[in-house]
Amino acid sequence: MEALDRNDRRHLALMLGPYLFGLAALVALPGLVTFGLAFFEYDLIRSPRFIGLDNFRELVRDDIFRTALQNSLVFAAIAVPLRLVAALGLALLLHRRFRGAAAHRSAAVLPTVVPDIAYGLLWLWLFNPLYGPINRLLEWGGTAQETIWGYPSPQWLTHPNDARAAIIIMSLFTIGEGFVVLLVMRQAIPRELYELAEVEDADWLFVFWRITLPLMTPVLLLLLARDTILSFQTTFVPALIVTEGGPPPYSTTYVPNFVYTTGFEYLRYGYAAAATLTMFVLTAGIVFIQWRIVRRWRRAFVV
Amino acid sequence: MAGVSWSGVRKEYGSVAALGGLDLEARDGELLVVVGPSGSGKTTLLRVTAGLEALTAGSVAIGGRDVTRMPPGRRNVAMVFQSYALFPHLTAEENIGVGLEAREVPKAERRRRVAEAARVVGCESLLQRRPRELSGGERQRVALARALVRDPDVYLLDEPLSNLDAQLRIQMRAELKELHRRVGATMVYVTHDQVEALTLGDRLIVLDGGELQQSGTPDELFRRPANRFVARFIGSPPMNMLPAAAADGALQVGTLRFPAAPARDRPLEVGVRPEHLGLVADGDGEAEVQLVEPAGSEAFVHVRLGGQTVVARVASEQRPQAGARVRLQIAPQHLLLFDRDTGERLEWKL
Repeated sequence: MEALDRNDRRHLALMLGPYLFGLAALVALPGLVTFGLAFFEYDLIRSPRFIGLDNFRELVRDDIFRTALQNSLVFAAIAVPLRLVAALGLALLLHRRFRGAAAHRSAAVLPTVVPDIAYGLLWLWLFNPLYGPINRLLEWGGTAQETIWGYPSPQWLTHPNDARAAIIIMSLFTIGEGFVVLLVMRQAIPRELYELAEVEDADWLFVFWRITLPLMTPVLLLLLARDTILSFQTTFVPALIVTEGGPPPYSTTYVPNFVYTTGFEYLRYGYAAAATLTMFVLTAGIVFIQWRIVRRWRRAFVV
Repeated sequence: MAGVSWSGVRKEYGSVAALGGLDLEARDGELLVVVGPSGSGKTTLLRVTAGLEALTAGSVAIGGRDVTRMPPGRRNVAMVFQSYALFPHLTAEENIGVGLEAREVPKAERRRRVAEAARVVGCESLLQRRPRELSGGERQRVALARALVRDPDVYLLDEPLSNLDAQLRIQMRAELKELHRRVGATMVYVTHDQVEALTLGDRLIVLDGGELQQSGTPDELFRRPANRFVARFIGSPPMNMLPAAAADGALQVGTLRFPAAPARDRPLEVGVRPEHLGLVADGDGEAEVQLVEPAGSEAFVHVRLGGQTVVARVASEQRPQAGARVRLQIAPQHLLLFDRDTGERLEWKL
């Protein structure tokens, strides 16, 4: 790069300034404060008191935190793969040009851009056990509260496992970003590769496993890491609006909900910061392990 | 082994006809070159033969078997793409064997056949590399080996040399011709490069605007072009075209007069190849040398003659200076006569 003269440097500083200020004030500083706060007891009223690792010791013994952590991990383990598969499936389904392709693609992205609260309220209606369309559909041909196969219909808002499933189902429709990335990626694969496969009499399974999937793997891995990180946060609003952290005992209380309640309802900011820090370390650890596992396997795949 | 025959092959995209109803044939074991400018329909012809595009009308038969409605994979053709279409994530060995793998040929046999095909095209030392680790020429070899390994009825090659640099292109051209001689299979080879077409083909098909202009051996096309398009397209630099008129039993071309005229009365044009145009230094000559392009043993001389430019190809030591006045000489037996309106070549005898 050419050396910048003084004028260039001044422009550079001017352009970067607002961004750097925002980054520092809104991300780095609160992050540092949170990190520090995790070693204090602080309730906004009394001045903070240093208590060393006491917050973390308490977290280890806290059953509610353990439940929340477990909920978050189970959610990530199930929702992340399903979300990736759904985004990939939609991308492969909609990458071709056809009549109404744009409308279909927009429909795939739309749920992602609906504001979280509105999205939550919508699902509150969809999941309603009495008049919600999902259970009405499931009970179609059966009796009230029973599906046609004789099973009791799911109690999305009141049964622990059904409620956990509800939160996962909600997350499966907000895959617009992954969908768009995979759509573009699929369209970037040269057409001749598929034409050659056609001339070579390859069936669609061969084409998928041997051509499409390996060529899209680099981006899928990136999305996997991103979605894992995100999955610890995206549960917050649905659990707040739709299931309110319940049904008992804390079935859909995820780590962010735990942090929120601890901090803003019980005013235990130090303790909440410790939980946040734990989640951060855990997320970083999971992503690190993911990369380690796929690295060797990836080398053979990536273009 | 099998030939290919196209009957009434027509392909329309919307209201545009890419192929205007062609009747053609590639004989068994022949290297048929389809040549034409871009947009002539030559690649479309290849793609409908492979089955990658559906025909609007007509039929394609390979070895007497009608394949018009058959999917590409069932036609037993191999295709070499202009971009080579190598899979970036597979090694050369896997790329060559991908068709066998898709057809579930056992691994041991696959390895053996891949090694054999790689040996034929001379890329056996590259088998463990991926495409990005290969040069253009090496990729070309891998793509050829992939076509060879399947032992197809027909090879379809879509401008396979156009991505190579000039020197490598000439080398691969010779290797391809030699390869065809050894394999002896039917090959349909598409190119826009008329030199490539002349040097490679047993027989040539010239297309323009989706219509057949002429088919024949390279010599036939060069010596007896059917029309002005073929005459100008085949040969480099292109044939010079000069307006002519028949009068009093003679053919008048500028100030040159030939003592014979075609019987029919219509606007005429004569064509003469640059190598058949003689230049004689003459201070009173009707033409002026505009530009001289030396090219080693020969030179291309651009000559201004009554409002148009003609090109002569002369031996290097005989080349004139720019600005010199010259007189043109044309041996009558090298003169081709065309109808100026239709572009058809007319037979005439001196």
